[in-house]
Amino acid sequence: MSYFRITLHRSAIGLPKRTKGVLAALGLHKRSQVVYHPVEAQFAGMIMKVKELVRVDEVDRKLSKYEVYSERKPDPGFWVEKTVARMEDGRPKERGSPSVIVEGLRKEDGGEVRL
Amino acid sequence: MFGAFRPTGALGGGLLWKIPWRLSPHQKYRQRQRLRAVDKVVETVANALAKKGETLKSLDRWQAEMPTEAEMLPKDKYTIFDRKEKKYRKGIHKLPKWTRVSQRVNPPGY
Repeated sequence: MSYFRITLHRSAIGLPKRTKGVLAALGLHKRSQVVYHPVEAQFAGMIMKVKELVRVDEVDRKLSKYEVYSERKPDPGFWVEKTVARMEDGRPKERGSPSVIVEGLRKEDGGEVRL
Repeated sequence: MFGAFRPTGALGGGLLWKIPWRLSPHQKYRQRQRLRAVDKVVETVANALAKKGETLKSLDRWQAEMPTEAEMLPKDKYTIFDRKEKKYRKGIHKLPKWTRVSQRVNPPGY
């Protein structure tokens, strides 16, 4: 099932009541607000009424607010590596894909593995 | 001669609006971007409905009657028919809410 992702780009201030009514029916109340509606003739007709005010994309699922936000987020330029449990019952944990980190492991006296 | 109290028409009293008679190149550029944005919305909706095999009367009429930005003549992009004007044309920025309404076709022959 695909959806129209509709963003209100231009405000309807000063436009006819009917135009504002269409936006309200779509659930758009303020600029940059994003709503999702299924791809149906009913919603396509409503989009056609306010096509000068909105931006529309076709998406295959409703994105969460965070996903929409992270699309706009620039690359921070760094990443934080977190410590992971590398031991399980006194043995090194099986990793899905041997990475550079795994190659750097060596066994210490206490059975601990450190980089 | 200069300064805040110069005797220009706008400051000399009375109602004098200074709306230029033509659009600046930057206004024309933004007008083209807006026309393209509307074309894109219509295209997205048309593609999405075509995938589902649905039709929409308003969409069919728009596609049949309205030229896209690339198909439009510069004359129609930046000016609008007006029977009261000399040569029957005035700048499209004289149209109320002109940045948020679609005004693409004019009477044939004008």
